[in-house]
Amino acid sequence: MQTRFYLLVFAIVLLSGCQKTLETDSGNVAVKLTNMLGDGPITLESKTYINAVAEPYTVSKLRYYITNVRLIGTSSAAEAESYHLIDAEKPESLQFSFTAPSATFNSIEFLLGVDSTRNVSGAQTGALDPLNDMFWTWNSGYVMLKIEGNSPVSPVAGKKFEYHLGGFSGPNNVLKKIQLPFPAGKLASIQKGKTCEISIMANLDKLWAGPNALSIAATPVCTTPGAQALKIADNYQHMFTLSDVVNNK
Amino acid sequence: MKKRISIFLVATVSLLVVLLDACKKGDAVTGVPGKVTTPLKLIIPAGWPQPSTDIFAGNPLTEEGFQLGRKLFYDGRLSKDGNFPCASCHQQFAAFATYDHQFSHGFNNTFTTRNAPAIFNLAWMKEMHWDGGINHIEVQPLAPITNQNEMAESMINVLLKLKPDTAYARLFTSAFGDATINSQRMLKALAQYMGSIQSYNSKYDQVKRGEAAFTVSEQNGYTTFKAKCNSCHTEPLFTDNSFRNNGLAVDPFLKDVGRMGITGNPSDSLKFKVPTLRNVELTFPYMHDGRAFSLSQVIDHYRSFIHTEQATIDPLLKNKLLISDQEKVDLANFLRSLTDKELLKDPRFAQPL
Repeated sequence: MQTRFYLLVFAIVLLSGCQKTLETDSGNVAVKLTNMLGDGPITLESKTYINAVAEPYTVSKLRYYITNVRLIGTSSAAEAESYHLIDAEKPESLQFSFTAPSATFNSIEFLLGVDSTRNVSGAQTGALDPLNDMFWTWNSGYVMLKIEGNSPVSPVAGKKFEYHLGGFSGPNNVLKKIQLPFPAGKLASIQKGKTCEISIMANLDKLWAGPNALSIAATPVCTTPGAQALKIADNYQHMFTLSDVVNNK
Repeated sequence: MKKRISIFLVATVSLLVVLLDACKKGDAVTGVPGKVTTPLKLIIPAGWPQPSTDIFAGNPLTEEGFQLGRKLFYDGRLSKDGNFPCASCHQQFAAFATYDHQFSHGFNNTFTTRNAPAIFNLAWMKEMHWDGGINHIEVQPLAPITNQNEMAESMINVLLKLKPDTAYARLFTSAFGDATINSQRMLKALAQYMGSIQSYNSKYDQVKRGEAAFTVSEQNGYTTFKAKCNSCHTEPLFTDNSFRNNGLAVDPFLKDVGRMGITGNPSDSLKFKVPTLRNVELTFPYMHDGRAFSLSQVIDHYRSFIHTEQATIDPLLKNKLLISDQEKVDLANFLRSLTDKELLKDPRFAQPL
């Protein structure tokens, strides 16, 4: 009889160790991004835009990382394994969702780029797979934002411009922490079984303006970490704005 | 009563097994449930420091992972035309450097721009490449695989070539639990193979363990080594893994600035990683660009030809090294005692059949 008792206790102890925490009181957070350029959502290849220094250009490629997404209120709710590669060629990459405990939150926070830890932790997969062509093979580290295109003012072959912006350590760190407060009356309220939809706009015009005006004629290429990448990152860190919060969808 | 207890026992235990299995995390690295991988351990030879970081963190070293990595290392399909497996530049008989080549050969009759480094004792190496540009062993293979003057292939194509091969399906399954072939698993397996190549059985090591004795010349060379070389080529790894400018004239064609190309910091100009001297007899030619073909030339550089006027010259080399002709002969003899013949012939690291 005693054996039976001990076995039962043993079983209960073991099983409780692997029990999953039941998220009974949680809801869904859906984040939607719109990449804006000029007067509307970005159009790749076919549309000509004008930058802050009056240079005409087209965009052929736009990719960037949004990672470590968190909602902040009296407590904070972080998305697990939070790595998203936003790719203007892939509409499905423009939205992602995660679960958060039921509560009201004042702002959303994320990193524009891949945190330094994942830059030094060996082979990654999913959004961070080197197959995504966002990893430097000669100087280990992720390209945080990549934009490529063409411009008649470009002095390089094919009239191209190409900015692969990265660098995660020391003085070359281009990582930007973005915090977007929700307006009063539009706080994100996570409720059981419901979806809270947070819409964010990324205005790529900011790439060219801001503290450091960027000219394709003067700087057609930037593909290494360093001073130039830092200047461009200081511009584009201001590109995000919150456009809407819809609760209880 | 006894029978009832034993039935209960059996029932409880089987329930436990089933339930525990069900709540196991689906971590591919640990292998298939019911199919056990064979764990391996990195050997830390007596008297060696502990590696500063665990290169197998998140990549548990197993016999199955090692064998998969070994097959990949020797597989030409990792290169564009099939002719350039990792092993084409990292030859076992040359302690996994390229034997007798200043530069290695790459795709389409190209040359590399630096001398291929030897591959062993990588668990003690924090950064890889002459300029330290690679921060983790798992991501190192991405550089030679995609470099246009090395293997010249894309990772997407490599995976496309490996996926239809049933031998790989089998090896990935035994190493990682299912037949999924992706870049992460491929790179982790390569890291297991490369990280397992260890060199600690040279005559020098045998002397240290009391199993052999130096000749008089080797012993004298060891004394010179400890006085003149050991501060950078530090025992027992024979490198301190630092980056230093040893005062070579800048090659007018290569214009290689070394470490500065990675950090962007002018104080790193012309600095290169201090290479290990283990197996140095076989890793010739020497220096980052393979400009010195013999140990004699290397020692002559340090005693006569250092460009001490360079702004970033290593402070330890500012006055060149005082080494007499006799010391030079003895030093070279000592350096040849660092050859690990076991490693060169170890069938475990050889091309799989």
